[in-house]
Amino acid sequence: MKQNSKDILDVKIVTHKDGKDKVVEFQYRKSSINEKTMALDVLLQAQDTILPNLAFRYGCRARNCGVCTIDINNLPRIACRSVVRNGDVLKAMNTLPVLSDLVVKRDNISRQLRGKLKTNTTKNDLNVEAPKEYHELTACIECYACLEKCPMHEKNSHDLKPNYEKEYKWGNPFTLLKLQTVILDPLTSKDDVKYSINSAIDFGLEECLDCPGCKCGVGIDLKGKVIKPLVEKSGLLR
Amino acid sequence: MNVEWKKYDVLVIGSGGAGSHAAHAASNKGASVLVVSKDPLGVSDTKISEGLATVRESGSNDDSVETLSENIKMAGADLSIESLTNAFSQDSKLAYDKYRENGLRPTISLKSQTPKPLPLPLGGHTRRRTVGHNNSGIAFAHANWNAIVSKGEIDYKEDCWIIDIIVDKKTVIGAVAYDAQKGIILAIQCPSVIIAAGGLSTLYFPKTDTLRGNTGDSYALAVRAGADMVDMEQIQFLPFCLTSPPSYEGLLAGEPVTASFLGVLRDKNKNIILDSVFLRTRAQCSEAIMKSVEKGNGTINGGAFLDMSANKRAPKSGPYFMEYLKTSLPSAYNNVRQALSKPASQCDELWEVRPGAHYMMGGLRVNEFGASVAGELYGKVDLGVSGLFAAGQSMGGLFGANRLGSTSLTEGAVFGLRSGEAAAKNSIYNPLKLQSNDKFLKKISEIDNILVTKGKYSSSSIKKDIQKACWKNLGPIRDKKRLNKIRKLIELWKKKIKNIQIEDTLIWNQSFIEYIEVKNMIDTAEIMLFAAEERNGSIGGHVRIDCKNISMFSKPYSTVVNINNDKSFNVKRVYRNRTPLKRMLFYKVEEIKRLLEAKTIRFLPLSIKDKILEKKYKNIMENNDEMSSIYPGSPEAAIGEKTTL
Ligand SMILES: Cc1cc2nc3c(=O)[nH]c(=O)nc-3n(C[C@H](O)[C@H](O)[C@H](O)COP(=O)(O)OP(=O)(O)OC[C@H]3O[C@@H](n4cnc5c(N)ncnc54)[C@H](O)[C@@H]3O)c2cc1C
Ligand code: SF4
Ligand code: SF4
Ligand code: FES
Repeated sequence: MKQNSKDILDVKIVTHKDGKDKVVEFQYRKSSINEKTMALDVLLQAQDTILPNLAFRYGCRARNCGVCTIDINNLPRIACRSVVRNGDVLKAMNTLPVLSDLVVKRDNISRQLRGKLKTNTTKNDLNVEAPKEYHELTACIECYACLEKCPMHEKNSHDLKPNYEKEYKWGNPFTLLKLQTVILDPLTSKDDVKYSINSAIDFGLEECLDCPGCKCGVGIDLKGKVIKPLVEKSGLLR
Repeated sequence: MNVEWKKYDVLVIGSGGAGSHAAHAASNKGASVLVVSKDPLGVSDTKISEGLATVRESGSNDDSVETLSENIKMAGADLSIESLTNAFSQDSKLAYDKYRENGLRPTISLKSQTPKPLPLPLGGHTRRRTVGHNNSGIAFAHANWNAIVSKGEIDYKEDCWIIDIIVDKKTVIGAVAYDAQKGIILAIQCPSVIIAAGGLSTLYFPKTDTLRGNTGDSYALAVRAGADMVDMEQIQFLPFCLTSPPSYEGLLAGEPVTASFLGVLRDKNKNIILDSVFLRTRAQCSEAIMKSVEKGNGTINGGAFLDMSANKRAPKSGPYFMEYLKTSLPSAYNNVRQALSKPASQCDELWEVRPGAHYMMGGLRVNEFGASVAGELYGKVDLGVSGLFAAGQSMGGLFGANRLGSTSLTEGAVFGLRSGEAAAKNSIYNPLKLQSNDKFLKKISEIDNILVTKGKYSSSSIKKDIQKACWKNLGPIRDKKRLNKIRKLIELWKKKIKNIQIEDTLIWNQSFIEYIEVKNMIDTAEIMLFAAEERNGSIGGHVRIDCKNISMFSKPYSTVVNINNDKSFNVKRVYRNRTPLKRMLFYKVEEIKRLLEAKTIRFLPLSIKDKILEKKYKNIMENNDEMSSIYPGSPEAAIGEKTTL
């Protein structure tokens, strides 16, 4: 069947194998003219047709699991819920090392916090409610869109080649969010609050002082609910 | 590929609710623990769930271990194993507290000083005991992530696929994995392995609401390790999933209970195929839809219409209904609003829906500590694979033929903790006495041979074939013809994967990853096929349109599938105890009473109906002193005694 040009989206997919980028032009066929095509639909169809070994992450298709983040026209987007337009360029996130095609290595971020999150409060009465802000922060789906243009994270840039055991020295909005969650938890002891603030300082909180602030992929107010309270508590403002 | 050797006391496969609790418990008992997960840490069905968890006694003082245990067994059509339902019921509070120790923070009821449950019991639960959470499953995922990361004592690897568990003389000696980040093979030597690798619904993609990685790895790994698999024909399909557009296909639109008092199912000619939908189980709704499709009355995309317009039209109760629909399952309603037209999301138009694969009730045959068992009746540990454990969706025998709502998150924590402790103990008492590495080396050379295969098929296209065929022939309805078809296809797929194309890259070799998963999908389909053939009658999640329903009064049995030395499969039946007749009749009578009431309301004149319904909605929404907004969640399985909606 001959396809109407209205049913087709011209998209560029930047693949990456063995350290080399390649731009692949892909014509996506819509199921109907009215279809709102998501970036993930494009990647799935490309894998079905011309790029059977295309590597990309996805999980839930519903903006819950947080693993499908890619760059669309150089900005981080959650692929399963980002509409694609003619001419868009789909590429791996630029803020983490690329393993293959659109897949980046993520775990250096979580490894930063190994042994540094003071949860596990067995001794307390668990029937205590957390404040509203706590739940605002646990809405984080760990998509890492907030790493974009974070000057603190950029200080790791010499480490952005895939490297395995080494941890990133400098933090990022997500790391700070996790620490702030511990601080907001009513079950955290005073000592552990202090410890968490010091960890934030070690991760480079000073960088936030003259930074315009970070943006979250799902709309958490990082600047107001994470950075501001941390900076205030840290004593860095004096 | 290069090989890296590792030694641990306990290997945990998966970092969802079951895996992280298992790792946490084993580590607390002093074991050295490695968690291996193919998805990023914590990314799992647990993370994308609705976040509803069963916590015994959260809603009433008259709840008990016996009551909860009986609810599960009744829903499971007596296939559930009592030692498992008891373990679940006993530990449900303790396991929930573990989640809280790792940062899960529910709303607390001021009156009872317990986590606050939803205002109504979910279908099949005879007590209020389901606790909902801000941010749903994402809040659980944070706690799971914390459990693994926070203390820094548990080692973990993500982007790492376990390929096979290595067994010597029916005893676990370790596992091999593909570490896609480094492009190497990991050879892990350990005396205990806990399988917590989740379910198999990707066999039906895109007709599923679950995570991409549910390729049946749990079951394929277990069966190849020589373990018994139980109830593998029992898969739960959610009746009301979206059929289009493509980006939303398979995602949840609603549950029977959200169809509310006047919701009905219609076929393509707008004839009613099921009424009183809100009182039906997931299985009953799915069956009604698929039977109508089978008769040629399916909608364009092979489903049915969910019609809730009568709820909406009632002048007084209508607005309450809309509020109820929007708030009871917020993420499902969100899917509908984005995917369907405005009049549809306002319930003025019908919703096209179709069942989607959701949860595998069957799985590894285990005892109450998650240890592999085999033999007659309830099985014995001595006859199972020593050192092999399972927790979460990967295990079978707890839910039998049907799972009650909100029980799976609790299941993961309960059996995660139990198996973690048991595995740590096993590793202390039965440390590895490795004579040689032969078994590992043999597996590794097999893998090396696959890596140089330059055949003509791509694994990702075989995957698509499997998904289509499983939906059609091993899906929500089955018969002899369909099962025979699957048997033939399995043979074909097995041949094809011997002739596949593997790329030359080492790091994140997508074609090799697809191969690993496709192989697991084929083995899993075969286990299900054997179980489905053995059960020649409909029960729970297994609908045979060519056979009669299995009577609830007949002697219940479970199917057990395992593998022979020559790699062929075996199937047999093991018998179960039946709930005393008096109890069963009690449940049945309650169900009939509720259905009659619902039908009566439907046929009343509009004005009277409207008044009655308005009162009912007000009851749920306002008279609950503790709830600011209603959140009844989803009933699965049989209908709750106290569910008057
Ligand atoms: C949309 C949705 C809503 C739900 N809502 C609820 C609810 O409200 N309440 C409730 O109780 N239940 C709910 N469920 C069911 C429940 O979420 C799951 O059954 C449960 O979370 C399963 O937990 P698990 O730990 O067994 O497996 P999962 O959480 O699925 O974890 C599996 C893990 O295994 C890893 N893995 C798989 N294969 C391999 C391999 N070969 N090698 C290495 N790692 C591997 C994966 O990466 C993942 O980390 C819902 C499910 C869905 C899909
Ligand atoms: S405010 Fe801090 S964390 Fe946010 S982008 Fe700037 S430096 Fe990074
Ligand atoms: S803070 Fe927001 S952008 Fe950053 S990882 Fe979490 S959800 Fe994503
Ligand atoms: S696939 Fe889960 S967030 Fe996109």
